Order: sequence, then structure tokens, then C-alpha cells
Amino acid sequence: MTQRFDSEVTTVCGYCGVGCRLEAHVRDGRVASISPALDGPSNKGHTCLKGRFAHQFSRSRDRLTEPLIREGDEFRTATWAEAIDRIRAELTRIKATHGPDAIAGLASSRGTNEECYAMSRLMRAAVGTNNIDNCSRVCHSPTSWALRKSLGLSGATGSFDDIEAAQAAIIIGANPTEGHPVVGARIKQATLRGLALVTIDPRRIELSDYAVLHLSPRPGTNAAVMLGLAHVVWRDGLLDHDFIAARTEGFDEVQELIATYAPEQVHEITGVPAADIERAAHVYGEVDRASILWGLGVTEHLYGSEVVRLICNLALMTGKVGRPGAALLPLRGQNNVQGSSDMGALPDTYTAYRSVADEDVAQAFERAWGEPLSREKGYTIPQMFGAAVDGRLKAMYIFGEDVAQSDPNTAHVIKALESLEFLVCQDIFQTETTRYADVVLPASAFLEKDGTFTNAERRFQLVAPAIDPPGNAKPDLEIIQMVSRALGHEMGYADSAAVMDEIAALTPEYAGVSHARLGRRGLQWPVAADGTDSVILYRDQFELPGGRGRFAALPYKQPGDAADQEFPLVLVTGRRLQHYNAGTMTRRTGNLQLVDREWLEIHPDDAERLWIEDGQRVSVRSRVGRIEVEARVTDRIEPGHVFTAFHFPEVRTNLLIGSSADVNTSCPEYKVVAVDVRPMAEQPAFTPAVPEPALI
Amino acid sequence: MSGANGAGIRVTVDGSPVEVAPGSTVLEAIRAAGGSVPTLCYDERQAPFGACRVCLVAVAGAPGPVPACTTPCREQMQIDTRDDTARRVVRTIVELVLSELPVAPAPHTELARLARELEIGAPRFTGEVHAPRLDDRHPYLVFQHELCISCGRCVRACDEVQGAFALTATGRGFHANVTAGLDAGFRDSTCVSCGACADTCPTDAITETTLLNLAAA
Repeated sequence: MTQRFDSEVTTVCGYCGVGCRLEAHVRDGRVASISPALDGPSNKGHTCLKGRFAHQFSRSRDRLTEPLIREGDEFRTATWAEAIDRIRAELTRIKATHGPDAIAGLASSRGTNEECYAMSRLMRAAVGTNNIDNCSRVCHSPTSWALRKSLGLSGATGSFDDIEAAQAAIIIGANPTEGHPVVGARIKQATLRGLALVTIDPRRIELSDYAVLHLSPRPGTNAAVMLGLAHVVWRDGLLDHDFIAARTEGFDEVQELIATYAPEQVHEITGVPAADIERAAHVYGEVDRASILWGLGVTEHLYGSEVVRLICNLALMTGKVGRPGAALLPLRGQNNVQGSSDMGALPDTYTAYRSVADEDVAQAFERAWGEPLSREKGYTIPQMFGAAVDGRLKAMYIFGEDVAQSDPNTAHVIKALESLEFLVCQDIFQTETTRYADVVLPASAFLEKDGTFTNAERRFQLVAPAIDPPGNAKPDLEIIQMVSRALGHEMGYADSAAVMDEIAALTPEYAGVSHARLGRRGLQWPVAADGTDSVILYRDQFELPGGRGRFAALPYKQPGDAADQEFPLVLVTGRRLQHYNAGTMTRRTGNLQLVDREWLEIHPDDAERLWIEDGQRVSVRSRVGRIEVEARVTDRIEPGHVFTAFHFPEVRTNLLIGSSADVNTSCPEYKVVAVDVRPMAEQPAFTPAVPEPALI
Repeated sequence: MSGANGAGIRVTVDGSPVEVAPGSTVLEAIRAAGGSVPTLCYDERQAPFGACRVCLVAVAGAPGPVPACTTPCREQMQIDTRDDTARRVVRTIVELVLSELPVAPAPHTELARLARELEIGAPRFTGEVHAPRLDDRHPYLVFQHELCISCGRCVRACDEVQGAFALTATGRGFHANVTAGLDAGFRDSTCVSCGACADTCPTDAITETTLLNLAAA
């Protein structure tokens, strides 16, 4: 192979959280081809069209290659010195006038662990605030919260290898063949070899065709489904009494609660036939090794975090955790969404989820960083936007996130960005968010930098640069260090390996992690000082006081939104195979030839009733916004529901999403939005129904 | 079935003893012993197929050479990777495969490497060769049908690795080839563009647009 290419490196995919190991083949300074690493622990010689093909964005003509500074309504190119000095001057001024808590930063779940750690250090040590968060807030923060409450640690209990080791599995609120294609392929292959699969989703996903059973609950009723499954497991003698007695606490309360969720009652709430609830419980409960996988269809709800605890309940009462094939596997959305939170890019925790109020931990970081650190929790992302609108937050530093496209209640986000006195964006492209920036810093894509990502299996894996950043763009770690230096706080990292060494020294759970030790297969945390990693968690005990897993007696509660007379359909949003989140990368590749527009899936009955034809343009209106999009009539969705994704700025799907959010973690309720859908006039207007930004 | 120390099966590869797990194939035993045997239709990501006969080896007591990839190991099996008959047959097979191609396979391909390994020079056999047929309707994946040798690796990658079931073997004899859907091309079949077919193809009969352009440049 080598003669065709100038160089080849092994790295980790920068798209979803599966963490495929990739071989990048380079010729003439460009990535010519990407192939899967045969020894990749999560991908085993396979990858999807995003990992393999969607890399041309890295040399797209509209990459940011120079720093930009706003002058009036325009951006002008600037030198790095000018841009950094502008940031120094503005942040110093705002900090002097309004205090450090008037400044907030966002780390990126697309960035490396080292960058996220440095970003949190920038905010905590150089600025002096805990106002640091990352986009896991809007996806799996409920999972993180619930797993810590129920089991102790914020991560999958096993690995993707548990898919092949399991005899049965439940997938709830995830569409792996589109959102996590390599895991989707592994699940599909497992079903062909005998895995008994149950899919639970308002849409009939591709894997439903390979499942023994598919349940279509009404959006927002997952809690009732999980309680119903628990009821049947309890009623029909599928409990693991020894496990419950030896390793858990709080089952008595749960037993009282689930007694009231007989399948008939659950049918009333969810619309799922009672017999299907019973059968699903038996598929899971009767075998020795069964796993549960879930995605954002569980978390992005008003009570998403509670549903994750109910998932944990089911595993605890059947003793299906801590063994091969018996795992709880949240499908993490972004390449490093696990790591960005692990690294402490959160307003309330340092690395490994240790509270900012914990005196010992805070003092350890004060000693390491040589600065006094705040013990007060900072703002979460939604709180940042709220604080910006009402004037408490004056400046933001957003690294690698397009909040104006991907966060809910777009109009509110835009108002928040407009309200700021000063906004820094560090990104690889102009985005909907950079329109509101005062300084834009040209950053690096995953193919252009080194460090580590942590995948959905808690696996630290090495990221290596295949190509150089274009023009004067710089690796993000270098940029963050430059800004910190300008603010008077020298981080002094020679390279990303030095950052990881510091993380390991300050974090017992990652004590044995170093770049040298990760090698080709990576390490799954917790990693002991001698380098022993943890493929399966909780083999002997849970990481909670007393070593016991905790049941949670949480009843079903109604979702934050519901269909009514004015908004008779329920919109669910999600992802499509060919594109990725805000589409910033995939829309700049050949994937756009495969899928070049958004569409709204609607059931034939609803379409007929609303006089909507396949391919027709429709207006979708919610309580907070309106979009226009093409309709596609399909029976893969249940009557009463519609589905669309959020990959295209032409269709600002998130204009429709309100501010309703998970009660414990403020993860937005992307998955239940009451809407009114109606056909458009003959002449479609292709202008997006988005408020015009005041700037540009 | 099991050997003296418990679970393993003991065999010899070219005289060297090696112990392998029950169910292991002769090919796995050869590799475990540090030996090698050429393969063509074999990809470790797929179930052994045994179609190409390039991994033929001799096994003591067998009437003729056996394919290493699909033959299970038996206790005390004596495997000979250097058997003259097997080597002669393999060489002829690869020569026949090459003789149907209109051009020599590109140097980086697995088939070209195999030809070099077997020291096959100018083709001994002449006859009809496949006419060039390019299908570049997909943004990333290209068919060069004339290079297809019907090894079945792409079809099995699509079935066994991805599970898209988009590719199908088509035609008979000299006209055997591979197709997406009912000759619909990648885009209009059930293809999910994962590229596992291009990744496994040993001849570039399926390859990537960018790599084709690289070769042309």
C-alpha cells in the first residue's frame, strides 16, 4: 500500500462515540483515503461512510485559515497576536468590571481530552470561574447523572464486545444503524447469529426488522415502559434474589412502586400492547446474559435522567450487570462526549466527576495550577444563555460547538449571543454561531491534531495527526495555551502527552493513563497506577458507599409537551446515517450528494388527513417556532408522530424546540415537541424561517 | 478431540509442532506456527469461504491438497505448506485468474502482491478478457467490473460485516461478476456506503473514487 501514499497514521474517528480506530493514508498533504484498523477494539476492521469517506471537509476551501476580528458589521483577517490581544483586553476588562463569573466557556465534545482539560483550566484558573460546560449537557448528561446515582461511575458498565457475548438485548431510544453505524452493524450481525433483540422506539428503526419484538411507545412514556418491564420481571419470578440481597439496596420501595404498573396500565399510558410488554420482559429476563443499550431517545426528555435510573433498576433486579454479555451500554453521541465530561469540562466537577466544592480536590488543583479556585458551581449551558439574556453573563468563549444550530430554542440562543458584549469562537468553519462572534480563531480538525478521545466504552485511545492544519490554523491545545498565557496564566505544557500526565497525576481513576501506555488498543478507565484497566465495571461491587447498587423508586410522569387541539402531532428529532449533528463537516463532503436535504417523516394516515403528499413542502409549527421542510410519507413512524433531523441550517429544526429540559441535568427535551404540520402553497419559499441576525 | 494438556489440538506444520484451540482451521494453525500460505478469497473479518483454492496445502493421509482456510484441524494432523502438487495447482489457479483480466492488477492490490509472491510473470494462457465497464455513479465507490475475479469477498463483507445485503454475485463462468442491487449501482441499492467492499476487494474491482483519481494522476 505504502507506495501510493506519502504517509500513514493510525488515529481515532472524529464522528460518533463508537471510537473506530482508523488508518489515514496521506498524499500531497491531503487525506487520500481512510481505512479501518483491523485491530480496532470497537470497530474490528470496519467503519461507516462518515469515518471512511467524510474527510474532505478538512481541505474544504472555506476552512478558517486566519484569525478573524469583527470591525463593525464585517470580519477582517487578523494576525494571531492581534486576535489574542483583543481577547486578552476584552476578557480582562469584563472581568475587572463584572467579575470572573460574567465570563463563561464551552469545551467541545469533538475536542481531545487534553483540550477539554486545558479549556476547563483556562476558565477555572486563568479567568477564575467555574462557568465551563460542554455539549454532553444536551445529550447524555442524564445518563451520566443517573449511572453515578445508581451504580457509581459515569460510563458504560461494559464494552461493545458485550453485544456479541449477550443472548438478548434491549435497545431503547437509539437508532444505531444510523447514529452509531458500526455498532449498528455489530448488533445486526449478532441478531443474525441468534441474539434476541427487543427494540423500543416510536419509530420502527432498521434494527426492528431484525428484532424478535418491537415496541412503539408514545414519545415521553419510556418511564412507563421500563416500569412495566420491571413489573413483569417481578410478577413472573424473573428476579435475581441473591443479587438483590447481596449487592443492592432500596428494592422494597421499588417493589411497591412497580406493583402498580401492570402491563394493562402501561398499555394505557404508552400505547404498547400489554402482551408485548410481557414478552419483552421475558426475552430480557429469562436469559443469563442480556444487555441494555440506549441513546438520546431516553435522555432528551423532561425526565430522561429518571428513565436511565429505571433502566439501571431493571438490570439490578435481574443481576444483569458486571458480567460479560450483561452490560448497560449508553451509546454516546460524539467522539469524545465521554471524555469531555470525564476531564472536568463541567460547571460542578473536576476530573472524574469530583465536586468543585470538595475541599481536598480543589486544593490539589490549586497546588497544581498555582491559582485560587472557586468552590461555587458555575452555569450549565442553558443557564449561560439565560444569564446572557438577562445581562449577568457578558462574555463567552465557545470552542467547537455550533450552539445556534444544535441547541434548543434557537431564537433564545441567538438572543443570548446577541446580548453578549464579547464572544470568542474557536472553530474550523464559519458556523451559525460564529456570525455573532467578535473574534474567530481558526482551529484544527481531528485529522490535524494529537491527544486522546474516550469512546462510549470508557476507552482512552490515541489520536494522531495525519495532516497539518490549513493556513495559519492551529491545534486547539496550542490556541488555548496562548489565550491562557495572555491572561497571565502560563500552563506550560510541552505537548498533549504532558497534559495527560498531569490529568493522571491529579485523578486516581486515570492514574495509570499515559500516551506511551495507550498503544494501539487504548485503556478503559478506571486505570490503576500500574496500567491495569477495566473492561467490565462492578464485577464485585458498585462504586457507591457500601458497595451496593441503588434502586430508584421513580414513577412515570408526563412529558413536558403533549399534542393538543392546536398542535396535534408529536415531533421527534434525531440523526441520519449520512450526516452528523450540525452537518458542519458532512455537508462539506460527498455525503451531501447522497443526502442533500432534510425531510419530515409522516405516517400515511396523518398525511392523508392533512392533505400532504409525498415530497411536498410542509410548514411545521411548534409553540416556539416554525420551519419549512419536505414531507416523506412512511409507515416506519407511528400515526400521530413526525420525525426529522437537524443537520441542515436551511431547516433550523431546533427553532421548534422549547426550553423544557431534564429535571436533574437540564438536558433539553428534543424528543417530544407538539407541532402543527400543514402543506405549503404551490410555490415553495426556500428561505428559512429563521429570525435574521442583527449582525451581518 | 483434545490434546494431552487439556483443550488444545496438537498438529505439526512443516514438521514444527503447534497446539491450537478446537475448531481452529489449518490456516489458523499455520499462522499460529509462524508459517504462511498465500490466500486470495480469505479475509479474517469474514467466515472462511474456500472458493479460490489459493491456500491449498497437503495434509498427510489426504487424497490430494486441501484448502487451509476451511479445513478443520484434527489431532496429530501433519500439515505440509510446501507440497509440490499444492504449489503447482495454486500457481496455475492464479495464472488463470490473471488471464481473464484486460490489464495487470495495480501493483498495490492483493492480487498483484500474490502474483509477485508466486513469481508469476507474463501470462501463459491467452484468451478472452473482460471488457472494461466502469460504474462511477456513487460519490465515493466505483465499480471496475472488468477486474472482478468473483472471489466473493465484497458480497460477504456486505453481508457478514455490514449487513446491508446490497451486493450480489451475478452471471456464470466467464461472465461471473458482482452487482449492487439488481444492477442498480450503489446509490440505488440498499448500500449504506460503508465501503467494506472496497476495503476487502483484492483487485480494485471495487475501489474509491479518490484512489482511482490518484492512480490516474
